[in-house]
Amino acid sequence: MSSTEPSSVRDLPMASSQPTTAEAAAPAGESNPIRDAITEAIAEHKVILFMKGTPEAPACGFSARTVAMLQALETPFAAVDILPDPRIRQELSTISSWPTIPQLFVDGELIGGCDIVTEMYESGELAEALV
Amino acid sequence: MPSPEDIKQRIEAAIPGASAEVEDTTGGGDHFRATVTSPAFEGRSRIEQHRLVYDVFGAEIGGAIHALSLKTHTPLQTATQ
Repeated sequence: MSSTEPSSVRDLPMASSQPTTAEAAAPAGESNPIRDAITEAIAEHKVILFMKGTPEAPACGFSARTVAMLQALETPFAAVDILPDPRIRQELSTISSWPTIPQLFVDGELIGGCDIVTEMYESGELAEALV
Repeated sequence: MPSPEDIKQRIEAAIPGASAEVEDTTGGGDHFRATVTSPAFEGRSRIEQHRLVYDVFGAEIGGAIHALSLKTHTPLQTATQ
């Protein structure tokens, strides 16, 4: 299980974790290494989960449940902890048009968050999607 | 701090023909679970259906509204459950 964490900047105030405009994180015309790192990680891993905490120590019940479902299906997956830098969540949500965490991507496509993954797990669709 | 009734009314006002059931899952006014039925969901993927509901709240999701768990159905799906 590999961890693909974009370059992380710690010790940023938690208050800045509120979603703001993309421009706030990436002034027009400037490079955006965090967004690029997220896009690359999604492209490079067949199954990648953006979560709060790590698979070993999830920091949120929704992330924990999503990890448990992937593990129940014995699916290898990459995991990115979005907590170390609020910009990770901000850029991820801009890329995915999805406001909440966790977010599961398979073959470069957003599958969903905990609710959709749960529905798909229960219906058997998740196992099919992960093949 | 939004109440389940606030959340319900905003969903129903924003999505055509929607009916919503909303509960506060922790009692803290920031974690909610909503079941939403609307003909607007027909022909849309689950991801798109959930986005329609999330879009009602914009940046409040992850802010004042810490979590909004969703189940979305078309009227046909609700009728056949």
